[in-house]
Amino acid sequence: MPPNVVPLDLRDFIGVAPAVILAVWGLVVIGLDLARFRRLEPEARRVACGRATLAGVGLALGSAVFLAWVDSLALTDSGRLVALFGESMGGYLGRTDGLIFLGTLARGLAVDVVNVLLLALLAMVVWMSTAYRFTDDLGEYFALLLWATVGMMLLAASEELAMLFIALETTTICLYIATAFERSRRRSAEAGLKYFIYGSVSSALFLYGLSLVYGLAGSTYFDAIGRMLRAGDPGLAGNLAGASALLLLLVGFGFKVAAVPFQQWAPDVYEGAPAPVAAWIATGSKVASFLAMLKVFVHALGPWSRPSESVMGPGWLAVVAVVAAVTMTYGNLAALAQKNYKRMLAYSSIAHAGYLLVGLAAASVSTEGPAAAGGVVYYLVVYALANVGAFAVAAWLARDKGADAISDLDGLGARSPFLAACVVVLMLSLIGVPPFAGFFGKLYVFMEAMRQGPSGTRIVLTWLVALGLLNSVLSAFYYVRVLKAMYLREPSGRPIGPARPALALPIVATAALVTALGVFPGPLVELSRSVAVPMLTARRLEAPAADDLPAPGAESPPGVAWRPETPTTD
Amino acid sequence: MNNDIPLSWFLYFSAASFAIGLTGVLLRRNAVAVLMAIEIMLNAANVNLVAFWRYGTPAAGSGPMPGVILALLVITVAAAEVAVGLGLILLCYRRWRAVDVDRYDTLSG
Repeated sequence: MPPNVVPLDLRDFIGVAPAVILAVWGLVVIGLDLARFRRLEPEARRVACGRATLAGVGLALGSAVFLAWVDSLALTDSGRLVALFGESMGGYLGRTDGLIFLGTLARGLAVDVVNVLLLALLAMVVWMSTAYRFTDDLGEYFALLLWATVGMMLLAASEELAMLFIALETTTICLYIATAFERSRRRSAEAGLKYFIYGSVSSALFLYGLSLVYGLAGSTYFDAIGRMLRAGDPGLAGNLAGASALLLLLVGFGFKVAAVPFQQWAPDVYEGAPAPVAAWIATGSKVASFLAMLKVFVHALGPWSRPSESVMGPGWLAVVAVVAAVTMTYGNLAALAQKNYKRMLAYSSIAHAGYLLVGLAAASVSTEGPAAAGGVVYYLVVYALANVGAFAVAAWLARDKGADAISDLDGLGARSPFLAACVVVLMLSLIGVPPFAGFFGKLYVFMEAMRQGPSGTRIVLTWLVALGLLNSVLSAFYYVRVLKAMYLREPSGRPIGPARPALALPIVATAALVTALGVFPGPLVELSRSVAVPMLTARRLEAPAADDLPAPGAESPPGVAWRPETPTTD
Repeated sequence: MNNDIPLSWFLYFSAASFAIGLTGVLLRRNAVAVLMAIEIMLNAANVNLVAFWRYGTPAAGSGPMPGVILALLVITVAAAEVAVGLGLILLCYRRWRAVDVDRYDTLSG
């Protein structure tokens, strides 16, 4: 029989332009390093490689901003797009269905906003990498950072499980190698191998869960799975295979976002990896994984979040609530005992994953619908900003002290008062003290958890919020130890030198942003909510909406190109 | 079709190989053996994907991405993973002169 091939619209590549630019630029950086920079002195070569990489990130950022402009025009004034780009191209750009590449990737303002965020963070991480010498394979190192980001951008935009799996693997495989890049230290190689083993086992578990979902739902598209579950089809829910699929997917994502009991890799990797790589694992990878997790759990598996009278059986809400409670408590308690600065940040990021999981649980039951996930998006932005700044401090310590204990920060307050003040801002934001943005992040996440109709889950989530508040108080103790070291102790050993722009700029910029977003949280909250809605409702035009209940056994609508083929046997 | 092996046999087979792979990951201490166990787990998922594609009835509007294509992609990803994994194991072997995962214990706490 002739294969039924669906034509691919080549214009779809416009929608992933930032990712394409970064992927190509990785090769450009390797080529430039081989052809020109290799002859330079190590110091000059590092700066040259970093600048070349930054140029590519800038290009990608430009294309992402341009796409954001086009997509906002498409929402408000699509006639102008036709006037600007001609009938065919303008009409294509003016479409707001938001899916490209046969519905596997999302397109639109939400994706552009996430891309801009990731690229801005990447620029800071790249610049930070030029601050000190930890590897001599610079071209490869910067290329890996770029390619990991390609994976993250596709991960955050994916609307289908196969695309999600490939993007996830692209991200993590690049990060495994980048983690092991600090050649002079044993711990870097060890961290790389540990990250690899934990990561690939979790991918295997995730993939097995994915295969079960594909078998039971007959589809890998988030929207199609959600539609099937909403229709009350017992294929996925209420049986052993469905329950294992759900748990395996949860395990896979649990590893990626470092939720208890799958958090063991995080402290070792954060401590062993070079500081800029640790920063990128803690921020970019976590942001992208959480957005993908929101999509899978709220969009695809959303109908199955809580127990109901129908065939659904027990849902994932209770599991996620327990994991969230244990994750934030464990992260904060373990962080109290840490003496290593990067290790402390690792446990703190585990705790933050706990708060974010509260947001995930809330988003599935909130009366606000998909907009409730806006709280999680806001929290992610704020968390990522504060962490990039905090890891820039770790890079500073690695450069001047060759170590990263909290006690290495002793006396920083007297030595460089302005940057120390910025670090205070970052730590206060991570604790969640007003008026810094971390406070509003927690406030919105917890508010969404409280905002729901009278139901059984309300009591559970209220307890979760109470525990979260208690944990915020607990977390103050270890963040304040950083401040204590900076201001109350005398410097010992080699003094910390002045931070040059590569380190000072990320610290100052993130501190300024965290303050600005805390004083004027309104615009970002609005933006987060508007990002969350299309992210959790994207669907193919020809397919019926997830809320419509299609008659069981109905024939595929004519727009669907692929029909089930019954295997024939002779 | 009537004479075919039933779907459930494939699922039992893949569940068994998945369990074998998981046991291997948890019990083996040799890093290369752990890598092999991970491959078994990935292949178990592949068996599932192909079996579901062969026997399953896709949901309405499920799109053109059948399980075999997904299985092919997984094979590619697995190959990339092995390449990176062996590289990392080699790196650690050069430092420790051992491939025993318990020996790599610089980081803890």
